[in-house]
Amino acid sequence: MKRNRDDGKRMIRRFSRLRIFEHWGIVLSTLILFATGLSQRFWHLDFSQWLILKMGGIDNVRWIHRYAGVFFSFELILNVATAVAGVVRGRWSPSMFITRKDFTDAVENMKYYFGLDDHPAKCDRYDYMEKFEYWTILMGGFLMILTGTVLWFPILVTKILPGEIIPAAKALHSNEALLIFLINALWHIINAVFGPEVFPLDTSIFTGYISRERMAREHPVELARLEEVVPAEPPAVGSDHPAESPVATSGASG
Amino acid sequence: MIKGNGLALCFALVLLAVAPPPGLAREPDLSAQARKCLQCHAKEGIRANFPEDGESVPARVVPAAFKVSVHGILDCTACHAAYLPEIHPKKRFRSREQFRAVTTSACRGCHSIGQIRGNPIHANFLKRESEGEAPVCTDCHQAHTMTPVSGGKIFTNEKQYCMSCHRYQMDMICRNKEKIHLKVDLSELESFAHDKLRCSDCHFGFSQEEHPKRTFRSRRDYTVASSESCRRCHFDKYTKTLDSVHYAILSQGNLNAPVCNDCHGAHGIARVSHTIKGRVLTTQKCRKCHAQVYEMYSKSVHGKALLSEQNQDVPICIDCHTTHDIQNPLTLEYHERIPQMCGNCHANPSVVTKYGLSTDVLKTYLADFHGVTLGFYKKQREKLYKPARPIAVCTDCHGTHSITGAGSSGPPTVKANLVKRCQKCHPDSNENFPNAWLFHYKPSPSKHPLIFIVNAAYRIFLPVMVIGLILQVLLHVWRYAVNR
Repeated sequence: MKRNRDDGKRMIRRFSRLRIFEHWGIVLSTLILFATGLSQRFWHLDFSQWLILKMGGIDNVRWIHRYAGVFFSFELILNVATAVAGVVRGRWSPSMFITRKDFTDAVENMKYYFGLDDHPAKCDRYDYMEKFEYWTILMGGFLMILTGTVLWFPILVTKILPGEIIPAAKALHSNEALLIFLINALWHIINAVFGPEVFPLDTSIFTGYISRERMAREHPVELARLEEVVPAEPPAVGSDHPAESPVATSGASG
Repeated sequence: MIKGNGLALCFALVLLAVAPPPGLAREPDLSAQARKCLQCHAKEGIRANFPEDGESVPARVVPAAFKVSVHGILDCTACHAAYLPEIHPKKRFRSREQFRAVTTSACRGCHSIGQIRGNPIHANFLKRESEGEAPVCTDCHQAHTMTPVSGGKIFTNEKQYCMSCHRYQMDMICRNKEKIHLKVDLSELESFAHDKLRCSDCHFGFSQEEHPKRTFRSRRDYTVASSESCRRCHFDKYTKTLDSVHYAILSQGNLNAPVCNDCHGAHGIARVSHTIKGRVLTTQKCRKCHAQVYEMYSKSVHGKALLSEQNQDVPICIDCHTTHDIQNPLTLEYHERIPQMCGNCHANPSVVTKYGLSTDVLKTYLADFHGVTLGFYKKQREKLYKPARPIAVCTDCHGTHSITGAGSSGPPTVKANLVKRCQKCHPDSNENFPNAWLFHYKPSPSKHPLIFIVNAAYRIFLPVMVIGLILQVLLHVWRYAVNR
């Protein structure tokens, strides 16, 4: 659970191997999906045309996109299934659920940013920003899977539903893709790469470990629970129930 | 004495060797006999009268012209055998006809039938002579002024020379017994585009000196062969035709494929005309072979406008099929060019807006599934591979030659037709499927509101979200910097 780095920094286990593997899968599939999908959405750009021709033409690109989509769907389903199973069996706490504390945290952080408060919000295992990112991508992902399937099998779909569903699905699919892309590119990459605390790279999702120092700053509630120290403030209503084992906590739906 | 004779002989030989051959440097003198005849026949107004038909012909001979003619060295009696300076019968010929017949036979005294037939142009006359209607030698060669064949200076221009024979009704007989009329209507020639050309500019190999004998298998063979001469000036057009479907058919041995002359004519080649009359005429050229297509076109929205309203905006055959490099319209390459062809007018506001038509049709097509795929297929062909799958283009839904106005049939008919068309490529599709296509409409609150709402919602939500995220990042960095 804990190990010390060579420089004496105390490290805490944050992500299990399953999550690391899962993250790599998502990285790979979304990169392929973005490359093949956005080049189709922005087909008129020279770069898109160059990319599509490099990938072997529009038909190839569409097939790559569909297969990558299938891969992505499996990952998403696996993620939800393991989370649900973990929570139902009582091994994990539902640490990713949005609670009232997330909203108060956001307000508290804003106050801190504007100098109205002297400390940032004390967050649990996942702060409100991580939750926002997770849920937009999870829900967006399901919307993408649904609309993508409609676009893949338009003839089958129009056997039951009106024809206008197809262009509507196309509009949703391409707009939502852009939304997810912007959250990933702008939000996630900036936070994980250019964030002042983590620059040049937040390695926790690759190594599975995070420094105690960062834990204390970013996830004090969880750290307190791990170290069985009473947190400075009582946890807000609706926050995670303390888990029996920290290892189990680390595997929650992240 | 002997010595003196020898010197004189040598001098004479040298003179002979140095002297130029007669007829080149030195004009031959008229014979004594000719000079004697010319004492009377050089007078102006002298005519020979024929008692039977009351006609007459000039009997005057211009001495200077006769002197330089090829026969200038002959005695008059060499041809006019019945006359002698001493014996000059007063009324030698009964009629003009008899005079002409005798004149011709006079030539035969020196020029054998074999020699006359040696020039292919004469063969036709000899044949017609036996039928009693050929022109006589002097009609073309003149009586007293004929020049040597190789140096003919009688005609001021070539056209005049050629027309001296080709003004007559003449036929060239092909090997399959078809006749090619060789009579040329000079007035036709001179009122058209090629009025400044000489005959030999097109009839290569023919001149005042040469008239090679040519035989053709058929009339068509002759037409195809003569179209070859156009390329000498119109090489750009000729090279284009090499890429055309018409040339491809021709090169497979089908002589019915059109060649230059079939559309442009031979002597009556019109100038290019972009007037309504010219455009209608062009469609008639295509009609000669493509009658069925023309029928369909003439009933279409484009054809009707052209023929009954004299509308210059509508396309004629060549606007889509081009002129010289006409491609096979059944190929995938041609099929893929169709949106651009239609777009030439239908995406051009100056052409279609006045008819209440939308110029968005091309853009909306190109942005949809079919249009995007087609765009990439066209690009891929150059660099990757050629997809064998045809993609629906304008004509697949709207029709080609029989195209009707979009408003001419009600929406139910359009949709019913569309389902059938969709099913050609998407066999299992049902009547809902065509609605997946937005019929060239841009989503708006009244047309396709669902898509309009989706797009509008994201158009608001996306910037709001992006601005929010950026603010969060900036605030975080700012606070971090302040705290340090």
